[in-house]
Amino acid sequence: MIMIRKSLIIVLLSIFLAGMPALLFAQSPQENDRQAVVALLKEQNRQLSGDLRHIRREIAALRAQLEEPGLRDIFAGIGYIFGLFGVAAFVAARRKE
Amino acid sequence: MHISDGVLPVSVTIGGYIAGAALAAWSARRTESEELPKVAVVTAAFFVASLIHIPLGPTSAHLLMPGLAGALLGPVAFLAISLGLLLQTLLFQFGGLTALGANALMMGLPAVACGWIFQKFKGKTQVGHAIAGGVTGASGTAMAAIFLALLLATGGEDFFGVAKVALLAHVPVIIVEGVVSAFTIGFLFRVKPALLESSFVRHQKTVND
Repeated sequence: MIMIRKSLIIVLLSIFLAGMPALLFAQSPQENDRQAVVALLKEQNRQLSGDLRHIRREIAALRAQLEEPGLRDIFAGIGYIFGLFGVAAFVAARRKE
Repeated sequence: MHISDGVLPVSVTIGGYIAGAALAAWSARRTESEELPKVAVVTAAFFVASLIHIPLGPTSAHLLMPGLAGALLGPVAFLAISLGLLLQTLLFQFGGLTALGANALMMGLPAVACGWIFQKFKGKTQVGHAIAGGVTGASGTAMAAIFLALLLATGGEDFFGVAKVALLAHVPVIIVEGVVSAFTIGFLFRVKPALLESSFVRHQKTVND
């Protein structure tokens, strides 16, 4: 009985030991994979931060553009001017009567 | 050329408002009702001219037009410029509301002075008108730059330093403005010379009569 158990252990051990080099060998591709993933992430990170800088610049440009008066402001002002002078002309005309 | 909020000391700000209001009232009293459409058009032109940017290498400057407004309107130019500046402040965020009085003085006084000079020296020919217009157009901007330096000097700045910088920065604007004013006034003299008889003259006529 003991013999059988011993031989079983030996067989299992030998299978395990036979598998060891394979396991060790298998780690090497994993290492390669990890490096590839890190390289990929770095590349992505670089691209993303480039994009982010681009977008940030665009936001700043947009903000500057927002502060600039647009067509609406211009026409609003001209309308105000003509309107105010129209009121002044109206008052002046009534005063004359 | 606009002074922003908080640059000038409080006393100058208040003084600018009082002097500006007084001059605007004087200017409004000089306005005749038949002139109102002309004043409105020149005000609108002054209001919009500040958006015409002239690119100059790294920076850009914009037209100011105090000289042309003064030549066309005479004393009424002060009212026109005050109103134009108010709307520019409200709609374009040029300058600041508290500095409006000082800004009106800075742009309005040169305009009125230019109007007087123009009426004095315009002569009777188209060329004379155009030259007088060009000179007033150029000197209006130069005077505004000197006024800017004067006002900033009250805030503790060095007058000659600011004056030099302001004048140098506006040299191209002064040139462009002189040319634009000369052409505009030459054209107006040919098309509608009555526009160039601003109320200095008309008022003096009524006084003389």
